Amino acid sequence: MRSPYKLFFVAYLMVMLLVSGCSNQSSTRENEKGTKGETGKDKTTLVLAQSADITTMDPQNSLSTTGDRVFRNMFNRLFYRDANMEVQPELVEAYENVDDVTWKFKLKQGVTFHNGDPLTAEDVKFSLERVMNDQTLKEYPYFTQLAKIKVIDDLTLEIITDGPMPTLLRLLAKSGADVIPKKYFEEVGLKEFQKKPIGSGPYQFVEWKRDDRVVLEAYPDYFDGAPKWKEVIVRAIPESSTRVGELLTGGVDIATDIPPNEWDRVNGDEGVSLVTGDTTRIMLLVVRTTEGSVTADPKVREAIDLAINEKAIVDSVLKGTGVPVRSRVPEGVIGSNPDLYDAYVYDVEKAKKLLAEAGFKDGLEITLTAPKGRYPLDGEVAQLIASMLGEAGIKVNLKLLESSAFLDIYNSNSNEELLMIGLADGLLDASYSLVHYTKERATGQTDYYNEKVEKLYHDAGRNLNEEERIKQYQEIQAIIAEERPHITLFQQGSNYGVSDRVEFKPRLDEVINFSDISVK
Amino acid sequence: MKKYLIRRLLQLIPVLFIITFVVFVLVYLAGDPVSLMLPEDASEEDREALREALGLNEPFLYQYFHFLGDLISGDFGTSFRYSQEALPLVLERLPATFELAAASMLVAIVLAIPLGIFSARKRNSFVDLFITGGSVLGKAMPNFWLGIMLILMLAVNYQIFPVSGRGTFVHLVLPAITLGTGVAAEMTRLIRSSMLEILHQDYIRTAKSKGVSDTLVIFKHAFRNSLIPVVTITSLQISHLVSGALITETVFSWPGLGQLLVQAVNGRDMAVVQAAVFVIAILVIVINLITDLVYRLLDPRINYS
Repeated sequence: MRSPYKLFFVAYLMVMLLVSGCSNQSSTRENEKGTKGETGKDKTTLVLAQSADITTMDPQNSLSTTGDRVFRNMFNRLFYRDANMEVQPELVEAYENVDDVTWKFKLKQGVTFHNGDPLTAEDVKFSLERVMNDQTLKEYPYFTQLAKIKVIDDLTLEIITDGPMPTLLRLLAKSGADVIPKKYFEEVGLKEFQKKPIGSGPYQFVEWKRDDRVVLEAYPDYFDGAPKWKEVIVRAIPESSTRVGELLTGGVDIATDIPPNEWDRVNGDEGVSLVTGDTTRIMLLVVRTTEGSVTADPKVREAIDLAINEKAIVDSVLKGTGVPVRSRVPEGVIGSNPDLYDAYVYDVEKAKKLLAEAGFKDGLEITLTAPKGRYPLDGEVAQLIASMLGEAGIKVNLKLLESSAFLDIYNSNSNEELLMIGLADGLLDASYSLVHYTKERATGQTDYYNEKVEKLYHDAGRNLNEEERIKQYQEIQAIIAEERPHITLFQQGSNYGVSDRVEFKPRLDEVINFSDISVK
Repeated sequence: MKKYLIRRLLQLIPVLFIITFVVFVLVYLAGDPVSLMLPEDASEEDREALREALGLNEPFLYQYFHFLGDLISGDFGTSFRYSQEALPLVLERLPATFELAAASMLVAIVLAIPLGIFSARKRNSFVDLFITGGSVLGKAMPNFWLGIMLILMLAVNYQIFPVSGRGTFVHLVLPAITLGTGVAAEMTRLIRSSMLEILHQDYIRTAKSKGVSDTLVIFKHAFRNSLIPVVTITSLQISHLVSGALITETVFSWPGLGQLLVQAVNGRDMAVVQAAVFVIAILVIVINLITDLVYRLLDPRINYS
């Protein structure tokens, strides 16, 4: 009677035992050959986990931080940004500004691509012409000011711009300015190039398993000396709790984009810590100054700014990961105004007084549109702002929207009195951010116009005197901070989970140079 | 039989046609892919230029028929995100998803058959209650939660299995359990009720009264006959496996079709969404067809002609 069950039970147990037996064995094997437990001098493989995979192997068609972190290590540019965001020559030996629109560059000798071909002026010309002419490339809009590239000899070239361009060197250090090998690219075409991309950077391509990992290995003949790591693996792990899980078990050395709900888990664990850096992204309120809207009155705009306690937002909701700001140009970006960084104004009584002066003694009602789930804790921040404004007598009609519904409102200029958004600066130059205050860009969105700002902005855009140019940008920011077409809130932080096995310092541009990371 | 097959295959055409339209409308309504591809402060001209380059500023119906026209010649179009043809992107993901689905099915079968038979035999006993109760729990647990819990317990606290990724056999264990548990729960209940029904049939009683051993009665007479509904539910579960794979693959960063589809929907990547849904639809339909054919093998009384 009972035998069939017994038989079944025993068979079942055996299967289970087999399964767990196999797994134990192979997991030990995995540990041995994987990176787990590798420490000190033995550690030659670096593993990084990002929240999204790269989408292409074409460095000029990416426009994402996740992509840039891979390409920066595979390709070279004429210039690069050091850890302090200063522009430094990378492929360039020497350069001169021949006249207002002509720049001459002498390339370094002995730079080779991963297939052994030397890097010449022809390759630079080919790469820059590709990105300045091909409209389908995502980096194209940034490169429209380049007019002509002239090859003088193997290692010398001239870049001619369509007018004085003070930001040229910064652009040449930006993503999209990567040098790709002309001969190889023309030989194999884009499709094959994506399967086996070749650059001249410190790390060369091994394989890309989509939505899983990119594997790179050291390029031993790199012109700047052999790279630090033998192998670098960049994994894509979209689910944040899994990313943290990999970090805690030693599967990865650095995990990017740790969301606030995981901070305690990362900080509470031995062997890993949360490392916070700055970004160029500034959270701000876009204010409608259109005639007829209540926020057309500068007193109302000032009252809104005074009613919001940016420091409290950063300290409470964001747990200190952020810096209150009064300008869209944070420290580290060229043209930033130091008076307006790490600064805020807060005075509820004065806000109430200003509102009364503006004729809103009994309070007023405005609409605030904000995204939910687009930036860390964006919904919570918007709710806190709404209640802060409520204290000053401003009733806020809060519209929290999903990311793409939110972008539809923003892009179609259907924003009402206030709209909360985070804006970053891809060029790390004030010109990039301040364009929002020109008539051309402001029309329809903030409808802000100030003749002086207009003139300062256009003068600065053609000004090759760096010191003067910076002063012009700083002056614009001082005017904006008083007139408030944008009410800036805080600079967003970036959060990385980092294993104690490695030493890592986040950069303002959120790029990661593998060779800057060292073993502890 | 041949006629039946042809009729079933012809049914595919209107189904796929409707699917492409529904998916197209949904993705179209979900928002503008261009604003997701460019940074927030790209100018209107930049956005317009990209829209133009991608053919997104044409009217809706024009876009749809353009898409259909290409589709007839086997071209799903180019992925916005990957700037590559969509269909190969989808097809290269199939092995990973098949691997996960097969392993989950194995987990489900290994769990469900013994548990189902056991609880049918011990009907209303404590063990039966435990198993049926457990199966409710197994069905009710969301994949997402179960996956994260398994990672927490078996990969982070006790580091028995790797947290995520695909590669060796051990990488497969946690995702397969996550995805297989729900299926196992449903199958257990079904095998139980199907067995119960059959155990009360006259021929079982006859077999028992003839003195046939219990083992033989259960396995030769009862179990085989209880298989027909099990085959049905198994094949129905395969489409559940696909939808479950969307979540499970994301949790374990398993590079399969599910993760590709989730990323494509998030990026409003129409070509990839269409190609993925198309491939999934064909898979489900073909599996249903195979199920019908398997019935015939199990029960010769079923005849399709």
